[in-house]
Amino acid sequence: MRNLIERLRRWIQRDGRKRPALPSEFLGKVARQIEATHDVEYSCDDVHRLLDQFAEAVLRGEDVARLMPLVQRHLDMCPDCREEFEALLRILKAGSAPA
Amino acid sequence: MPPMTKRTNEQWLSDLRAGGSQRETALVDLRADILYGLPYALAGWLSPDDPHFLALAEEVAQETLMRALDHLDSFEGRSQFTTWVHKIAVRVALTELRRRHWKDVSLDSLLEREEGERSPRAMADRTPEPEIAAEQADLLAHLQRMMTEELTAKQLRAMMAVGVQGMPLEEAARRMGMKRNALYKLLHDARLRLKRRLAREGLSAAELLTVFEYK
Repeated sequence: MRNLIERLRRWIQRDGRKRPALPSEFLGKVARQIEATHDVEYSCDDVHRLLDQFAEAVLRGEDVARLMPLVQRHLDMCPDCREEFEALLRILKAGSAPA
Repeated sequence: MPPMTKRTNEQWLSDLRAGGSQRETALVDLRADILYGLPYALAGWLSPDDPHFLALAEEVAQETLMRALDHLDSFEGRSQFTTWVHKIAVRVALTELRRRHWKDVSLDSLLEREEGERSPRAMADRTPEPEIAAEQADLLAHLQRMMTEELTAKQLRAMMAVGVQGMPLEEAARRMGMKRNALYKLLHDARLRLKRRLAREGLSAAELLTVFEYK
């Protein structure tokens, strides 16, 4: 960790000590998003096409992160698609629950 | 209890493509399925006891049936037909609820509000060592500089709206005159640019995060 801090110190010295103007929470979130970024990612339309199939696989308890990794990755990154997936899964769970 | 009508996918398709009472019955059953699912889909969004729920459910059921009929040929049979229809209903319902929730919020007002909050929020929940706090501040400043250098104004605007203010992509996209799909691609391109810039600086995002999360 100390080595990394030293490397970073040299790396950022070029910037001087200017304080960030954007909220630190946001920048931290950006850093986490960059880490999770892949060269190839499904778009919202790609995921919407597969969401019914994906949700049923989740309901069956399948390992979707392995079977449909690009869908899983998109859901990790896209709050809108994730909300839609969760809503669909709630319907499927209600429909499959014993009466 | 879920509706008791059981049809195979093939039966749904043939009934909905048929004319007369066969199609009418299938539409009635499908509508019942949609209405059955909506309270579960909207849990946490809108309670079935809310005075707006019924009207919304009717509206969503109607729109979903129309879309499903229009796109029957695109159903590939990889799921239950009703799951495919519920998927459409969820998209219709959440799009409408997002629109209502954010209807009085413009992108500019969001960004102006952010402008007023420009002082960096201290990482108040933690009490990091002073030296580390300074490192974090420097890193944040550098990351911010990278963003302003690497990203287009449109990308930065979208990242702020979605990332800072939590505006749904759908709503941010509508205000920017784009489809949600295109906005996701724009944000993906922004993240890739930042990732590649970091790599050119000899750092990975994972390394950056170790400093962010250093206690």
